[in-house]
Amino acid sequence: MVMLAGCAGDGESLPRVSGGDAERGRVVLDRYQCGVCHVIPGVPSAFGKVGPALDQYAQRPYLAGKFPNEPETLVRWILDAPSMAPQTAMPAIAMSHQDARDAAAYLYTSD
Amino acid sequence: MPAGKIANRHKALFIATGAVVLVVIGATAGVVLLLSGAFSTAATKQHFRITYRILEQGLKYSVASNADDIVVPDLDRVADIDVGHACYREHCLQCHGAPGVAREPLGRGQLPSPSSLAESARDWPAAHLFYVTQQGVRMSGMPAWEYRISEQGLWATVAFLKAMPRMTADEYKRFASSNTHAQCPRPTTAGEYSTERAQIMLRQYACDNCHIIAGMVGPITHIGPSLVDWRERKYIAGVLPNTRENLVRWIVDPQGVSPHTLMPDLEVIEPHAEQMARYLMAAGE
Repeated sequence: MVMLAGCAGDGESLPRVSGGDAERGRVVLDRYQCGVCHVIPGVPSAFGKVGPALDQYAQRPYLAGKFPNEPETLVRWILDAPSMAPQTAMPAIAMSHQDARDAAAYLYTSD
Repeated sequence: MPAGKIANRHKALFIATGAVVLVVIGATAGVVLLLSGAFSTAATKQHFRITYRILEQGLKYSVASNADDIVVPDLDRVADIDVGHACYREHCLQCHGAPGVAREPLGRGQLPSPSSLAESARDWPAAHLFYVTQQGVRMSGMPAWEYRISEQGLWATVAFLKAMPRMTADEYKRFASSNTHAQCPRPTTAGEYSTERAQIMLRQYACDNCHIIAGMVGPITHIGPSLVDWRERKYIAGVLPNTRENLVRWIVDPQGVSPHTLMPDLEVIEPHAEQMARYLMAAGE
């Protein structure tokens, strides 16, 4: 499975999630109340300041300050952050793989 | 004579209009040059002669006007030339070379090229050398050393710079090989807090290369999280409650707090970290 599809925009190649539906992802981020801790553009009531703002996410080289920002890593992080960084304040989220893919897809396409 | 006055008025109007037109043409040409990519940013592309002369003279005038108030201590009495050499060996040699010692590749590929100090170190007043070493030179490769070397270390460096041009290659070699114990002293204090000084520190430790910081002009970067409205954040790096004390701890030793973090240890001394944390917690208030 090829997960990473390059997207040339202004000479950059930004990460995209294959098999992720960004529009569905926006609903997923809202439903799981990610906005309690994060600012997420385009997601209603996502104004939380506990975690970092998730705007311009595709342009960020790093994820959680510890990993290169790549689609599969982001999907894993959304599902089970503590397994990747035991000390992190970000909890594991009980959502399906497809929900996580869609959420990641939305983060990579939002401004 | 009314006719003469009218002629004069016409002349003034003509000159003013001409000046405005020239400025507009110049600005337009500049924008076109930048946007077309025709202006080369390559370090292999030499400056024009006039650019060199302007940079050289501009540096001299700027240093002279800023450095003349600096009170020079009695270097023979208070400055330890061995310490100065330790600083020079650690921080200066790779770009500037020494008697009979070539600069390293780092110091060969730059434009403008770092000066060979045999001439400037001999001819420039000690206060000017101190100022350039402490403050660096904007738009050149010369860093400011104020946040890396203590004031005493900087004066020791100046004393060594004054001595170095009088050494033969053999004398330098003997001096360098006998001076292996002296260490270049780092700063230990931060001075009084001001927002301006805190901003200089945040730049001098290169924080703004990875973080957008409230109230500061710098590169547009997404590498680390934005530090605008930092005081509203609940956690530092996702692991520490965001208090000023914890922020100081984090800045001084990020990998001690979170072992796999990509934030590097920038060797920030605690008094500097305290001022940075104070600035970040207050910014945007």
